[in-house]
Amino acid sequence: MFLWPAGRGNRRVPDSEFAHHSSRSRHQNGIGEPEGRQMAEVVRAEEYGFRYNESKKWAVKDFNLTVKSGEIVVLAGPSGCGKSTLLRSVNGLIPHMYSGQTAGSVSVDGRAVGETPMSVLAQEVGLLFQNPENQIFMFSVERDVAFGLENLGIPRAEMRERVDRAMHLMGITELAGRAPHELSDGQKQRVALAGVVAMNPKLIILDEPTSLLDPRTALELVDLLQKLRKENGTTLVVVEHRLDLLVTVADRIVVMNEGTKVLDGSPKDVLFGDLAEGYGISVPAITRLQKLLAKDGRVASDRLLSAKELAGLMGGVRS
Amino acid sequence: MMWLSGGFVFRRGNSVYHRLDPRVKLLISALLFTTTLLVRSITQLALVIVFAMAIAAVARVLKRVGRTMLLTATFSAFIFVVNIFFTRNLETSAIYAIRFIAIVVSTSLFFITASPDELEQVMKTFRLPRDVVFAFVTAVRFIPVMMLDTLQIMDAQKSRGLELDKGNLFQRVRNMIPVLIPLVVNSVIRSGELAEAMESRAYGAVARPTSLVEYRARAADRITAVAAVAVFALGVYSFYFVMPTYLP
Amino acid sequence: MIEFENVTFVHQNGVKALDQVSLRVQQGETLAIVGENGAGKTTLVRHVTGLLKPTSGTVKVKGLETTRASTAQLSRSVGVAFQNPDHQLFSESVYDEIAFALRNFGFSPQLVEKRVKWGLELFGLEEYRDSSPLVLSGGEKKRLTLACILAWDPEVIILDEPTVGQDAIQKERLAGTIKLLGTAGKTVIVVSHDIEFLWPIQPRVVVMKSGRIVADGPARTLMLEKEVLEGARVSQPELVTFYQELVRRPEAPFVNPLEAERWVK
Repeated sequence: MFLWPAGRGNRRVPDSEFAHHSSRSRHQNGIGEPEGRQMAEVVRAEEYGFRYNESKKWAVKDFNLTVKSGEIVVLAGPSGCGKSTLLRSVNGLIPHMYSGQTAGSVSVDGRAVGETPMSVLAQEVGLLFQNPENQIFMFSVERDVAFGLENLGIPRAEMRERVDRAMHLMGITELAGRAPHELSDGQKQRVALAGVVAMNPKLIILDEPTSLLDPRTALELVDLLQKLRKENGTTLVVVEHRLDLLVTVADRIVVMNEGTKVLDGSPKDVLFGDLAEGYGISVPAITRLQKLLAKDGRVASDRLLSAKELAGLMGGVRS
Repeated sequence: MMWLSGGFVFRRGNSVYHRLDPRVKLLISALLFTTTLLVRSITQLALVIVFAMAIAAVARVLKRVGRTMLLTATFSAFIFVVNIFFTRNLETSAIYAIRFIAIVVSTSLFFITASPDELEQVMKTFRLPRDVVFAFVTAVRFIPVMMLDTLQIMDAQKSRGLELDKGNLFQRVRNMIPVLIPLVVNSVIRSGELAEAMESRAYGAVARPTSLVEYRARAADRITAVAAVAVFALGVYSFYFVMPTYLP
Repeated sequence: MIEFENVTFVHQNGVKALDQVSLRVQQGETLAIVGENGAGKTTLVRHVTGLLKPTSGTVKVKGLETTRASTAQLSRSVGVAFQNPDHQLFSESVYDEIAFALRNFGFSPQLVEKRVKWGLELFGLEEYRDSSPLVLSGGEKKRLTLACILAWDPEVIILDEPTVGQDAIQKERLAGTIKLLGTAGKTVIVVSHDIEFLWPIQPRVVVMKSGRIVADGPARTLMLEKEVLEGARVSQPELVTFYQELVRRPEAPFVNPLEAERWVK
């Protein structure tokens, strides 16, 4: 009876159109890279510029950036500085979905973004958008996490394993059968992130991931990001206004203004400098305090400290 | 809106009926639907409805289906009156009116017990193009979201002095504009964001995507399907050849 | 000005969103309502203009019970700025957008013209006077929704999560606006989980958890109560944490929070 095409078990879909990466080797090796060995470059932008067809102004211009494997980079800048354009230039939506004029180059893992198809890029770069609601397509959590894998034609057994692993990593295994409208914002965020993690990208970009979350949930997300870096060796680029959550965690802060890069360095270098506040970056109160105390010579540290750590240092007790 | 939501929006359930293969659920609803078109008397129609309600009871959705029936009754009465006006025949008008209720109940039974995932499965079985199925499932998934958006938009506009419950029909319709425009705009924005997310997760990379979940028909499903067809055949037979001899 | 008396609110699905809440807001106060997502902050605020009616208890605005008037009528005195501007903007021009509420409230055309002009100037939107509100940037849209509210000059202004998605400059401007409204004698209620934003404003703070008010007091003293804040999953301003930690240490130099703040300023 044609109505019952009874399941035929694992059906292998011929993957003739693209290279299906088995990137499991990456996390089987873990990250302990020996000191002194050069870290791979995950993103390289050289004199990159982009102008949307509908606009006369260049949204991004003369942009240079390198991101090394395993780094956590925070990208900041006032509204309208070109951050969104840059993000989309790295994950491939520009130029594959949005057309315009390009200058310079952007490459991911050595591959030029413009010349690599989205299906391959999607496995290298994951992009987590701001509103988790509009990234969850399916009616059940686990099916949504599997969405990207289904699109790539991954065989069922492997897909099951990857979905389970991603959900476990994000701490949402119990939510597997739930529908999206039954979830809180924080949970939706994790589901969307799990869907990205399941694709095993080397790099994950997050566009203002904490904007809809309350501070405690936001902290939990930051912990989750650190866990991703630690366990999967994932490189992370986070666009954020709320720097206080990330300053103690980030390796670098890159500041953009009007389409170009204006600051790039360790969190301490960038935020202790006088230029940061001029670019509309909200320097956390504790960092301002640390800066003043450092000027007075009462505190010396090579990195940015949290409130507790700073108090510990000043109080003369080892924290 | 309440009627639509009560009668056709899926809600999770754990009854034996819910756990049936969605194709069987579709079959049952289709058979019920077909029967309503084949009956020839009010009593027969009533029997069909009672049977549908019995199924609803098994599926533990009797209250919802019952409420839908009552809400449909008002529209049904309208059909009755219009028919009386044109045909002046009490019996046929009643049949049309009650038939409408029966149709609504049989289709409602399917939609409230089949999740969007199951709807997708059924659509795939009928070999509908992938994009169509995806668009449909995504649209259904966003129904609760859009309902919430509508409420929030109404709240926002009420807070700017918009009175939604006053005025004659013309005024009320005009007052919906500040609600409809943001709704449409939001939908457009949403579609754009969804498209970006889809591309970023390699939608369309492969002509035939794989599937995490597999719907295997169990023995229970096949038996139920066969039983449903048998009952249908028996029912139609008795309606046509057995009943008229004894009942109006 | 605003009075909540033993208000309980239960949703249709049985969830109790507000549990015996009593609150009095005086005219001219600046009040911040904090708490984690789901604590009941937005539910509370929705009761002020009658968008929600209490299951038990009463809510009064200027002595009038909210069950006795429509939301549109109550909004004449209480302006609410919701989180998402895209849920509001629909007019053909920015001018019409600001005029919308004024016309609904029955302002004369001359007064409408005056108020719209004033609103455009106050928020730096004159250049967009005839543009469609839909082409504005996110920050400009937020400014527009504020302009829309202030144009009809309500006595009470409620801001629901005004800092979401805003950069530092926009937040500073917003803090300035709130302080300005306070000095103009307006009653301002800010619902926010951005503690660092609220701290310099030094408002009266009400902490909510699971539908109840668990703390109520001036920011300066309330923010010192670490256990209460932690219990409600509300973070402490960093400077306050710093001060508290410092004072605990045996070898700490004496630093009071005023001194720390003075440095930072």
